[in-house]
Amino acid sequence: MRAEARLSAWLSDLVGYLPLAILIGVLAYISLNAPNFLTLRNLELVLMQSLPVVLVCAGLAVVVMAGGDDVVSGGIDLSIPATAVLSAGITAQMLTLGYPLALCAVAALVACLVVGVINAALVSRIGMTPLLTTLAMFVAVVGVNNVVTASRRINVDHPWILALREAEIGGMPLGIVLVVMIVGTLFVAAHQTRWGLNLQAAGGSRDAAEISGINPGRLVGQSFVVAAVTGFVCGFFVLARGSGSSPGVQDNLMLEMVLATFLGAAFSPRRVVTLWGAVLGAVLVAAISIGFKSMGVNVFWTGLIKGSLIVVVVAFSAMAQRGR
Amino acid sequence: MAGITVTQAAFSLSDIVKIFPGVRALDRASLEVRPGEVHGLIGENGAGKSTVIKVLAGVCQPDSGTIIVGGQRIASATPAGVHSAGVRFIHQELHLVPHFTVTESVFMGQELHGSLGLARRKMRRLAEAFLRDNLGLDISGNRLIRDLGTAERKLVQVARALIDGAAKAVIFDEPTAPLANEEIEMVMQAIARLKAQGIAILYVSHYLSEITDICDRVTVYRQGRTVGVFDEISDASAGELIYAMIGREISDMFPNKGARATGEGLVVDGLSDGAHFDSVSLTVGKGRILGIAGLIGSGREELIDTIYGLRRKTAGSLRFDGETLQVATAAQAVAQGIVLVPRDRRNDGLVLPMTVAENATLATLEANSRAGLIDARAVGDATTALIDSLDIRPPNVDAVTRLLSGGNQQKVVLARWLAADARVFLFDEPTVGVDVGAKAEIYQLIEDLATKGASVILSSSDPVELLGVCDQIVVMMRGRVAGEVAASDVSVDNLVAAITGAAMVEGFANAR
Repeated sequence: MRAEARLSAWLSDLVGYLPLAILIGVLAYISLNAPNFLTLRNLELVLMQSLPVVLVCAGLAVVVMAGGDDVVSGGIDLSIPATAVLSAGITAQMLTLGYPLALCAVAALVACLVVGVINAALVSRIGMTPLLTTLAMFVAVVGVNNVVTASRRINVDHPWILALREAEIGGMPLGIVLVVMIVGTLFVAAHQTRWGLNLQAAGGSRDAAEISGINPGRLVGQSFVVAAVTGFVCGFFVLARGSGSSPGVQDNLMLEMVLATFLGAAFSPRRVVTLWGAVLGAVLVAAISIGFKSMGVNVFWTGLIKGSLIVVVVAFSAMAQRGR
Repeated sequence: MAGITVTQAAFSLSDIVKIFPGVRALDRASLEVRPGEVHGLIGENGAGKSTVIKVLAGVCQPDSGTIIVGGQRIASATPAGVHSAGVRFIHQELHLVPHFTVTESVFMGQELHGSLGLARRKMRRLAEAFLRDNLGLDISGNRLIRDLGTAERKLVQVARALIDGAAKAVIFDEPTAPLANEEIEMVMQAIARLKAQGIAILYVSHYLSEITDICDRVTVYRQGRTVGVFDEISDASAGELIYAMIGREISDMFPNKGARATGEGLVVDGLSDGAHFDSVSLTVGKGRILGIAGLIGSGREELIDTIYGLRRKTAGSLRFDGETLQVATAAQAVAQGIVLVPRDRRNDGLVLPMTVAENATLATLEANSRAGLIDARAVGDATTALIDSLDIRPPNVDAVTRLLSGGNQQKVVLARWLAADARVFLFDEPTVGVDVGAKAEIYQLIEDLATKGASVILSSSDPVELLGVCDQIVVMMRGRVAGEVAASDVSVDNLVAAITGAAMVEGFANAR
């Protein structure tokens, strides 16, 4: 009986590593077929491209840690990409109207915080399911952004925003340095502080947390606010990457965010969603997108492949959980 | 007051009364636990053990009575107040995060901080030292909870409650229920170490053999009252304790056993599920009622679920009249005439928002349909007949089952299977939460099924019920059949002794 249990644990470990193995296989295939893929120049491009996804993934990781990693009933925040697009839309529109950047940023931050607080209230006060709540918020916030921007593209050429893409600091691109600092701060908060451990306890077992004197509802609420702030910051990187705000960015961002964050669980030795796992996942997913592009794969096919990868990742993580 | 009495109790509750709607859960119950003793608290299900623990924990306010902790009278107990007075609770459920380390679990909610964030190394050192020195568990603080055995997890849970060093009294609620035999010793030794440190220990358990082994004194509850406090406990005390716990005769609420059909019926041969029970063999002849007795964790529930195809079996087989049954899913079980009246009827047995007719014919829609459409008249007629034969009240096919009483809900569950024409009936705790009158009716229905030639298995935690209803009783203990006896050959006391592991009783044939 014991030996069987060990075998099944070992098998579920193996299954847990499969998504990672599949991704590495895909990357290997790309680098064989697109010779320029593994150059330093290209890898920097991959990193730069991945920055917006990295930020929203970090936010989602915090929410999943607080709410638990059950994709349906646990913690999830699908509205982060919409928050990012709203942050970008408000900033772009106000810059066009001639407001100073600082004021635009404050307005965008306030708007994003409102979204975060509404999510928090609906989930931890009223007790709605995070999946439905944040999906509804996603739709509503994208709607608000369409009103703000009149659903059209707005160019932005503010030097500070373009600096996120072009400036360098000590030989490193400024954008990468800033994101590393932000993610580093979140990492310390989520993995090296009491707050972070309590957050993980709340997500790991709500009852256990409650019995230990932790207030899981409050932590879940806080995680949504943190996520909204990462959405706010992400908005500026969206502006920098696209030289402005354009409608529709949120869809791809959401897809890659969910894929990368849950993929990240495969990197963690404990097989749970972690901050650094999510960030690594985001970079890998960006690498695949760019890789397919440089191989000349049709954009439509890229969507199908990414969608299938989500299914595979979630299926394997469910199988790995069941083996436990 | 003339003079102050110096109490030597770590905590005491006197004359506690707690009334829930319709039930006197506690009726002048008392309990006194002294430092450095292991004090047992026993009683049947519903005797008030859990309620008194909730009162002490401050989760549930008593209607009257006195609570004294550490010599201080507590006017109204709150969870925080009781905790700071040094009373700790080890709940039956482990409440641990599977992917946390031992260290993280021990310090959950009370993490230590250094100047540079979490003091992980210090916490690990303290957790490992506490587990080793105070609980006798030598284990790395970096192991993950999900990789530990159940007894090790239990000790981690204990360490979490005691790591702050302020505990004066610890309440263990059924600590060994999920443990295998060889694991129990680990927990027992840990409790002995705590006792040696002068901590007061309240030990709540159904396992009388553990109570007589480990406890210095024992309090017995029955129907919310203290019926005895035993100061000298030895292995020979089991008889007295059981008598105090049961204190009643088999009443006349049970039906007379009628003539029985003959035939091999259901044979369960060497059934295992790889985790909760092992090599269980049973025979339930046609027209026979087999009782299954056993404590929580004896594998009784899982056995029933496996026979019904809800759990996967890892070994063994099922036969009916010599013909092998393939039961991998509940649908297959029903197709082959095996049906279950589940313990949680509100969640598993009924679709509460649906009507009596809809619930009663759920398994027989095929027969009541024409060309794929449900024949409302056929459904109505079939249900009316069932309502008549089972005396379901109100006798209304369109009544919503949510609004029925517990006993009548149970009859609707039964009606569905009567409609399906089953040959093996599994009853899992059919009378939990059912009033006395409805109980008698359910017993009569079970007897009627047997008279008509069905093979019936009744799994129950009520020894009196088992003796009153069954022909034969199998006792399960920690996943194995510990013995089998004819109901007419055993007294309630002896049955309880066998269930609780207090004694292996004469008249019990040994496990095959």
